[in-house]
Amino acid sequence: MNAKKKMSVGEILGNLSMPILLLLLIVFFSIMTDKFFTPLNLTNILVQNVHVAVCACAVMIIMVSGGCDLSIGYQMSVAAVLVTKLISVHGWNPWLAILLGIALCSLLGTFNGFMGITLKSSTMIITLGTMAIFQGISYLISESKTFHKLPKSFMFLGQGKLFGWLPLNVVIMAVIVVIVAFVMSRTSIGRKVYAAGDNPEAARLAGLNVAKIKILSFTVAGVLVGIAAILLAARSGSADSSTGVGIEFTGITACVLSGVALKGGEGTLWKVIVAVFVLGVLANGMQLINLGTYPQFIAKGTIMLASLYLTNHNAKGI
Amino acid sequence: MALKNITKEYPGVRALDNVTISFERGEVHALIGENGAGKSTFIKTLSGAIRPTSGTIVFEGKEYSHLEPRQAIDLGIAVVYQELIQFEAMSVADNIFMGVAEHSGLVLNDRERREKARELLAQFDCDVDPAALVRDLSVANRQIVELTKAMVRSAKVVVMDEPTAAITMAEQEKLYEVVKRLKANGVTVIYISHRLEELFVICDRVSVLRDGQYVTTCDMKDLTKLDMVRLMVGRELSSGYPQKKPASDEVVLDVQHLSGNGVTDISFQLHRGEILGFAGLVGSGRTELMHVLYGAAKKQAGTVVLGGKEVHFHSPEEGLKAGIGLIPEDRKFQGCFIEKPIFWNISISALASIVNHTVVNRKKETALADDYKNRLKIKTPYLDQLTSGLSGGNQQKVVIAKALAALPDILIFDEPTRGIDVGARHEIYLLMNELAEGGKSILMVSSDMDELLGMSERIIVLHEGRKAGELTKEEFSQETVLACASGV
Repeated sequence: MNAKKKMSVGEILGNLSMPILLLLLIVFFSIMTDKFFTPLNLTNILVQNVHVAVCACAVMIIMVSGGCDLSIGYQMSVAAVLVTKLISVHGWNPWLAILLGIALCSLLGTFNGFMGITLKSSTMIITLGTMAIFQGISYLISESKTFHKLPKSFMFLGQGKLFGWLPLNVVIMAVIVVIVAFVMSRTSIGRKVYAAGDNPEAARLAGLNVAKIKILSFTVAGVLVGIAAILLAARSGSADSSTGVGIEFTGITACVLSGVALKGGEGTLWKVIVAVFVLGVLANGMQLINLGTYPQFIAKGTIMLASLYLTNHNAKGI
Repeated sequence: MALKNITKEYPGVRALDNVTISFERGEVHALIGENGAGKSTFIKTLSGAIRPTSGTIVFEGKEYSHLEPRQAIDLGIAVVYQELIQFEAMSVADNIFMGVAEHSGLVLNDRERREKARELLAQFDCDVDPAALVRDLSVANRQIVELTKAMVRSAKVVVMDEPTAAITMAEQEKLYEVVKRLKANGVTVIYISHRLEELFVICDRVSVLRDGQYVTTCDMKDLTKLDMVRLMVGRELSSGYPQKKPASDEVVLDVQHLSGNGVTDISFQLHRGEILGFAGLVGSGRTELMHVLYGAAKKQAGTVVLGGKEVHFHSPEEGLKAGIGLIPEDRKFQGCFIEKPIFWNISISALASIVNHTVVNRKKETALADDYKNRLKIKTPYLDQLTSGLSGGNQQKVVIAKALAALPDILIFDEPTRGIDVGARHEIYLLMNELAEGGKSILMVSSDMDELLGMSERIIVLHEGRKAGELTKEEFSQETVLACASGV
């Protein structure tokens, strides 16, 4: 009686659309240029997308809870300049500064979630507002300066290699992804986030504290964004107020591409992460075949629109 | 007009199987059947929303293999869906004339349109302001707007899908008048309803569908209600309402002078094992009262004593923990997560019982869901099927299972059988009795008078947010309830 419903071939293919797309892109770029499929380049793609993947986890949590956050780029910017300034200018202990940066980001995230509940308005618009606020804060902190002169111990987070070959930041990313995936799919906490996003009124009447769930989703996302900021600053060895800006676009694109529902309550983390690398491979590959930054923007946007079409197409069950 | 040998196949199901029904001009033709009998598929075939796999549609002598939506409108087929599809933020007049070619050119003459709309609405004895926004109207008036729209497009066939499911009794009378007027104008009305009583009032003939197959068409006057039920179900149903053991004298819930959320000064007691009915017109505050009791809305004054202890709930979370379960009136939007699997819905209010340090134990979860599936006889082969794929009756059972899984002592059933077919209704009645006999106490809100009188042991009648009467079983009658509810 407890038989699992068998999935049709179409459903299985739909489930695997992201890995298939990734594979196709890898094959395509490997054929187009021999600079693509090399250990060095593939490691580069991994390392360069660590902060994107961590941010995508944050975006996914928020979107599943039924929200949207356009401000994460400037949240990253605030955390990055604060931490690097404290370390390089004021000589703080790096670990203390990192802790403060992450705490600040979780506060910014909580603020977004709190505003969403109290203003009873779309978090997309609210975070458009807070985005401007965070931008201002970031430039006030940085005074439009760039902060270098970071200690080795800090840079090790972004550039260090375990056993001489395994990039530390990739390990950190993997740990975060596994934890978030586990919490979202296997625990009652994750279950409640999906419920609150899927149907807030039904969730409320089912005895869930929807406001708390939504706000805490933003808080946790803030923590992840803070970590992403540190990882990015540590990898590039410097930070200014443009650090991380625009990441929300990539994060949301990856989520939408992988089928995270805009209305909330739906989404699978591993697909989001694969989608991050689809975008990463696309950017890297286009660079290698001499299509610069601007064509990449066009490609990213086009992919996002195409994925919306596919989502609708599947939803209609045609 | 006729539909001949219509078959519609979906993967794995035959929603309509060789169905032939013909309709005469100017008749009111009822279409009945249990949920899943194929009524919606039939309507969708008519409106052009789907293409039948085979068969033909004959309209005024011409044959069509299928209709396109635009074509159906041009032919004069109008459908008033149960969930009205309207431009909510636009005025009544705008809704009525939307898509209708007007001669006035590019600029719309609002005054003229409103005048015209007012005249049209007056035909139906409806005095809503044509400038009012549709979202501010009652469901009944919105239906009339929809029917007016059909008239403007000189519809020849009007399909009405469960028009009386969500409107008050007084409004029903008005709607019957409207249907009679349509009929007098030579319009064919295809009328779908689960409320069999009303079919006798307005319909000429009735066609019965069962499991996608055509059963029969009869003149209304040759049938009794029981005949219709028998035709729909295809088997004998014990008539009427199942009997239950009387409740004990133990008071489990004592409400005194409760006010808040639009209700004022309500007092009543609920006994262990009792089914206490709540009657009243739509908007009389029944659902609002239930929400206060559950903690979903704020209490302003009065006391609620639950199991001997006074309680103050600030959220449904607290109500649930204290042992109250709610089966909300709106299944799709409040009752369940329609796009989530069955097991997921059943466990969502009982997560604490199936987790180990917040990690969900899938085995325990499946066992929990399977247990309720068997106890409530939820008809599905797979517990991981999406709830949206179930019939209304089975969806309702999932909602009940979800409430039961949190192990409440008191259950609030708000419109327990709205939009549910006869067979499933009976099962839900049996279940309610079983729960009450097992020591749970039930508050039941219902707009279905028969159900209220048949199931309750006492009935409390509300009128405009206040208690207008309390009836014991001996005093039960449709007239007394209605008199109280109307504030007489």
